[in-house]
Formats: sequence, structure tokens, C-alpha cells
Amino acid sequence: MTNDTSRNTGFTKPVTYDIYLVGVGGQGVLTIGELIAEAAFRKGIPVNFYPTKGMAQRGGFVKAQLRLGRATIGPAIPEKGADMIIATEVSEALKAIRYVKPGGDFVLFAHVWAPTAVMLGKAPYPTLDQVFDAARDALNAGGRIHCIPEESLPMFEGSPVPDNIYTLAVALKQTALGELLSPADVEQVLRTRWKRGVERNIFAFQAGLGAQSHEAVTQ
Amino acid sequence: MKLMTGNDALAWGALHAGVKMVAGYPGTPSTGALASLLAMNPPGVHVEWSVNEKVAFEVAAGAAWAGQRAMCTMKMAGVNVAFDSLISIAYSGIVGGLVIYVADDPGVSAGMAEQDSRGFAIMADLPMLDPSSPDEIYRLTQMAFDLSEKTGSPVFVRLVTANCSSYAGVNVADNPPVWPERKPVLLHDINRFTKAGSAICMTQHRDLIARLEKAGQWIADAGLNPLRLGKQRGLGIVVGGMVDSYLEEGFEIAARFGFIPSDASLLQLKAVHPFPTERVRALLGHCDTVLVLEELEPHIEKGIYVEAHRLGFEGRIVGKLSGVFGRIGEYGISHVVKGIGAALDLQIPSDLFQSKTDAEKLAAARPITVCAGCPHRGTFMAINTAIRKAGFKKNDVMVTGDIGCTILGMNPPFNTVSTEVSMGASLGLAQGYVRAGVTTPVIATIGDSTFYHAGIPGLLNAVQHQTPLTLVILDNGWTSMTGMQVNPGTAEKFQQSGDTRLDIAKIVPALGIDQFWIVRPFDLEDTTKVIQNALKLPGVKVVLAREECSMPAKRRGLEAGQIKVVEENCNLCKLCIIQTGCPAISLGENAVVIDENLCYGCGLCAATCNQDAILVEEVTL
Repeated sequence: MTNDTSRNTGFTKPVTYDIYLVGVGGQGVLTIGELIAEAAFRKGIPVNFYPTKGMAQRGGFVKAQLRLGRATIGPAIPEKGADMIIATEVSEALKAIRYVKPGGDFVLFAHVWAPTAVMLGKAPYPTLDQVFDAARDALNAGGRIHCIPEESLPMFEGSPVPDNIYTLAVALKQTALGELLSPADVEQVLRTRWKRGVERNIFAFQAGLGAQSHEAVTQ
Repeated sequence: MKLMTGNDALAWGALHAGVKMVAGYPGTPSTGALASLLAMNPPGVHVEWSVNEKVAFEVAAGAAWAGQRAMCTMKMAGVNVAFDSLISIAYSGIVGGLVIYVADDPGVSAGMAEQDSRGFAIMADLPMLDPSSPDEIYRLTQMAFDLSEKTGSPVFVRLVTANCSSYAGVNVADNPPVWPERKPVLLHDINRFTKAGSAICMTQHRDLIARLEKAGQWIADAGLNPLRLGKQRGLGIVVGGMVDSYLEEGFEIAARFGFIPSDASLLQLKAVHPFPTERVRALLGHCDTVLVLEELEPHIEKGIYVEAHRLGFEGRIVGKLSGVFGRIGEYGISHVVKGIGAALDLQIPSDLFQSKTDAEKLAAARPITVCAGCPHRGTFMAINTAIRKAGFKKNDVMVTGDIGCTILGMNPPFNTVSTEVSMGASLGLAQGYVRAGVTTPVIATIGDSTFYHAGIPGLLNAVQHQTPLTLVILDNGWTSMTGMQVNPGTAEKFQQSGDTRLDIAKIVPALGIDQFWIVRPFDLEDTTKVIQNALKLPGVKVVLAREECSMPAKRRGLEAGQIKVVEENCNLCKLCIIQTGCPAISLGENAVVIDENLCYGCGLCAATCNQDAILVEEVTL
């Protein structure tokens, strides 16, 4: 979060917050970005949300860049520019690390979606520790890693809640994004966006807000 | 204010400018504009996906010749297809208003060329607007129609991936102007609408140049390329299109290193063609260093060199030609900061926007493959097996590929397809391999929409010249890669009201091809047998592999079958994963696991299993 009046430049910087999202097509990671964008927009915060799907219908790398707070804004976040990374797949998380700002937040839903070659034992897949090490290196002091294990998802009517909504709630509650948007701002969008599954989504959202800290212990 | 994409904003802009008809062909990242209009279904406005971009352009141009406001939409590769007609209609000019929307893709997020369509505006002598934010797209699209009508010229609106697919707030008018119904006009003027003879063509060329000049005047009067002269005579910045949106932030950062924004002059180009000569001359007269910020090709920069030469400008021009920037990829904040640093010799740390890339190297490779339930999976598997069973090694047989989902056959586990060039090129290339003296079977693969778009002429050519090849048409009934648009072959019930379906199964025999088979790619055995047989026969052979794309089918609640894993039979041999590469299958502890949400029940995994561990149960619909 940036909100300082710099003596050197004479600029009054707006309150800005940049989020870089990565995952695999079909996981709903773009939906996380859409929900935050919509909530911010309804609140009158300037938004630019730039999803990149490429050729992936399902199963390919997807990313999105969400920039809040600036009326005139370019869609792309520079390297070392994002206040927060939200990643929903362990290996794909690595592709976002260079965009995180030193001192920022790194939120990972630790799902493993193994490509076929990995399943067949023909290609390596990174360990969680490798991802953490790389993230720590980029985050520096003051940066925080929040890791949501897949098994921590609460159940709703017999099946795990939607991981993207849960992850969004954790990110909102445990990072400075919560200073821009309140849970009520996001919940309002969740209630109106889909006709079906509202209870399930709200349950996931509330559970994520109430979750214990997922902050990974830094060395 | 509404939150929408740049593509949506363009659609609203056209609508609020009184557009009467819109035609386009899907192509990422441009698709959303016409899709948005189709979803709105505005009364009195005809909106269609045309068979290809050339036809879309001609349909729109015809409507504009009849006096209406019309628009066509396409990705940059589509302009190549439309360009034959485009040059000619540029010469003729238009009667109503005509906007050509083209989306470029710097950074190649959609997998084609980094083609800079501004070069086409230069070649065609047509004005081009190059807005930055979605809100600006909405406003400039409306202005493009005015410009077109005031000058009698088609006008390009060029967007790039970053702005056409970005969502941002757009001030859409609550009470847009009401456009009176226009009666179509019929002008019979061969001097304008034909190219019969050099006198006609050269007169049209003269008129074309005059129209462009008039457009330049209109653009200047409208203030589309604002110039602000700085307090100092030092730095002048020229920024084109999308890059404009990064300036404010870039200025703030550069200011930390000694840059004083109010000292600098700034020329923001929203209309990149015709070249804003007067504005550039004013800037050159005021500055001793000029920084040019434009993505892809140095079109603006080269124009500045020309004016600099004419003025005897002795300062520096900083940009691509001076070696500071390259011609590849998207621009961002870092380019603004780097450019200012280079222009003013500021000490800016080189790692300000540069992080380590080691982490990415650890990421698992994730080659994109066809979706779970994709019928193409069966076709690729069948082609591979047919080649082997016909007695050939895979590498001894050329399988050419085409644009769309069919190109996913290039990736593992199939590795079937070896070429991807442009719409329809699979057919021409295949004939070239045959004529080069290749004696093994040559196979061309093409999807349904691509076949209609540009495949048919290639097939006609093969028939006329009796070039022996096997064409496999992968017909899934939709233009799927771009998000399941309707094409001429889509089932009748999904065609727009009043439209009709053209069946490939009727087109192929009508071309005089009697070696023609229709197969269902979920029936792996039969599909393999038919292709294997075709490979042995002489002449032109066509296999129509037909099964609906599983994405729209699943959305309608359909499934091809129910897959059941018999755990006690599975020996974890992984054959199903190796052969299908289906994203719905993963390895469990004792047996493979099928993701029920992803699975469409195509049964191809069951067809590969030799342990009776995967069963398909038919579903009754």
C-alpha cells in the first residue's frame, strides 16, 4: 500500500494497490480478480483489471493484473511492483514471484495441478519449499507469505468450499487489501454476481475471513 | 460509469455513434467487441460473424457505400485477409461511415505475430485512431465515425491486448443521441466504385491522398493529438496509443531521480495516422531532445526523423532507432522511466524494475492441450495410430496443421501436427509437400470454421490438380478457440434467427470428391480404420471427423457417457494418461482417478485401457 506525499517530487500519490494473480485456467483465479475489481469499482475506487487467458480454455497458465486506486493507469504491473501476489497453483506461483514488491504479500493456495509429463514422472515439479525460498528472496524483510493448504478448506454440505472464494477472503483479511475494501464490500458482490450457490460462496467467504493466520513461518 | 472491457467500450461507442451494421470474424483479442454487440442484440442493428475478415470488411463497406454507418472487427491477422479489398475501397472512399476495428497483440498473449497494424494504415492511406484507456476507446470510437463521415474515408481504430481486454470504468452515456433511420442510397458511379482504367485509378489515388490530408486537418481541429510545451526547452516526449496510460506513473518515478515533469514538453498521439506533421514540428522547434514512446515498430519515430531533417533539428532523438528500446513486446512503466533516464542522462538504478528470473525456471512446463472431452483428442490419436498401422514411421509422414484448436495437436502427447501458418494454409502447404516429391502420405488437418474461412480454395486447388492428399476436417461445430462462436456449420438451432446452416458433409461431395468419409472421433477404432484406409488410396481424400465441442455441450448439461474406473483392474500402467493426455485423469494411490467435473465421458481413455479398468456407460438423454 502506498500513500505518501513525497517531499522530493511534489506529487501527492493516490492510495494504490496492485495485485498480480496467477493460476491454471479453470481454477477460478480470474474470478478472484473480477470480484475484487467489481467490489472496488462499486466503491468508487478506480480500477483496471487485465486478465490474460492466452489460448487456455482449461489447464493452461492464466494470469491477471489488477490495479486499484489510480484514475489514469497502465494495465501492466512492472516487476517488483505488485503489493500482493495471489497464486492458486504451486508451480505457476513461481511465474509471479518477480512481480512482487519487496515487503509485499504472497498468497498461495497450495494446489498442485500436475501437467501430464509430471504425472508420468518424466518432468520435475517444484517443491513448496522451492516456491517459499524464491518468494522469501523476492519479498525481503517485511514481506509475508500466506500459504493455504488444500486440506484446510472447510466443508459445506459434504464437499470442500470453492477454493478461490476462500483464498480471496484470506487475502482480504490478512493483507493491506483490507484497508481498501471491507468484507461487506466484497460480500455484496458475491451475493449479486451468481444466482445459484450463494450460500455456499458466502460460507466459503466467511470461513476464509475467520481463518487462522496462514502466514508461513519465515526463517 | 460502468465497468467494462475495452472491447465492450468499442461496442458501446459504435452503438452510440449510430452504427447500423457490424460484421467481424473472431480473433483474440478482438473477439469481445462483436460478441458484446451480439449479446446486446440492439434493435435495428445487424450484427454477424462473417465467414472471414475479407467478407466481413466487404459487408461493412457495402453498407457504408449505401450510406449507413458500419463497422468490421478483426484481430491483426485478419487485416491481412481483408487487405485486398481494403486497399481498393480506400481508393474509392465511402459514402456513409466505416470503422475498421483491429486489435494488435504486442507481447503475443494469443499466439500469432507481433504485427503492428499501424503499418497498414500507412500503406492504405487511411486515418487510424489509437486510444489508450477503455473510456477513451468509447469516446474515440464515436469520433472515428464522425471522422469517417466527414472525410469520406474508412477509419481504423486500433487497440492492443492490454486495453481491449482490460476492464475499467467507462463513462457510457445514459442518454445517447438518437440516430434517425437512414434510407440506403444507391450510387451508380463507376468512377468511384470501380477500378476500370488508369484514369479512374489515378484520380481515385489523388482523391485518397486528399482525403487523408482532410482527415489530418479534422484530427488537428478536434484536438486529438494534444501538445503541451514545457517550461524548459529541453526534453520533449512523444507517446503513442496505449503507452500514454503509463506516463503519469512513470513521471512520478522518474521524478525521484531528478526529472521535472512540468519542464518537459508532451505530445500525446491518439491519431497515429496521418502523421501529425505540424505538431511534431512545433515540438522539435521547442526541444533539444525528443523521447519517443511507442510499442512495436518505430513508425512515429521515423516520421520524427524526417521532420527533424527538414527542420535542421540538431538535437537527440531517443527511441528504438537510437538503441534504447527494442521492437518486441509490450511497453510498461519501466519503458517510460528508462526512456526519460536515457534522454536526460539520469542515474536510475538498472534493477529498479528488474527482479530475478530464477524462480520461473523451476516452474513445471505446462504445454496446452485439448480440453477434457475434446473430440480432436480422438482424431489426433487416430491419425497417429493410422500412420503407424499403415506401415509408416510418424516422422516419415507430414501432417500440416491450421489455426484454431486443431493446432493443439502439435503438443504432447499427440505431437501429430507440424505446421501452423495462417487460416487455411494446411491445405496449400500439404500440396507443396506432395509436389516437392514426398512419396509418403501427406495429411492436412483443419477445423470447421477455418475450413469455411480459407480452407475451401485450397481444397478446390487440390481437386483441380488432383494432388494426392488426405484432408482431415476436425468439425466440432463451433469456432471454439476464440470462445465458441457460431460459424456456418454450427447446428441450425444455434444459428441466429433467420440464418441457415451449411453442412460440410454436403460441401465436400459437391466439389467432386467421392473419397469422403464421416467419422465420430469418440469411436477411436472406426476413426483409425477410416484414416488408415484413406492413407492407402490415391487422389484427394477427405475424412470429416465430426463431434460437437464438449464445452458448449457441457454447458447445456450434455455428456457423452459416464466413465467408471474399476479400481481392482487398474494396474497403474498409465497408458490412458500417456495416450490421451486428458486433464481429467490423474494418478491415484491404487488406480487412476477421473475428475468428474472435468470429464465429459468421451470414453477415449477406456479405448486405450487393456486391463478393463475403465468402463463407459452410455447415458440416456
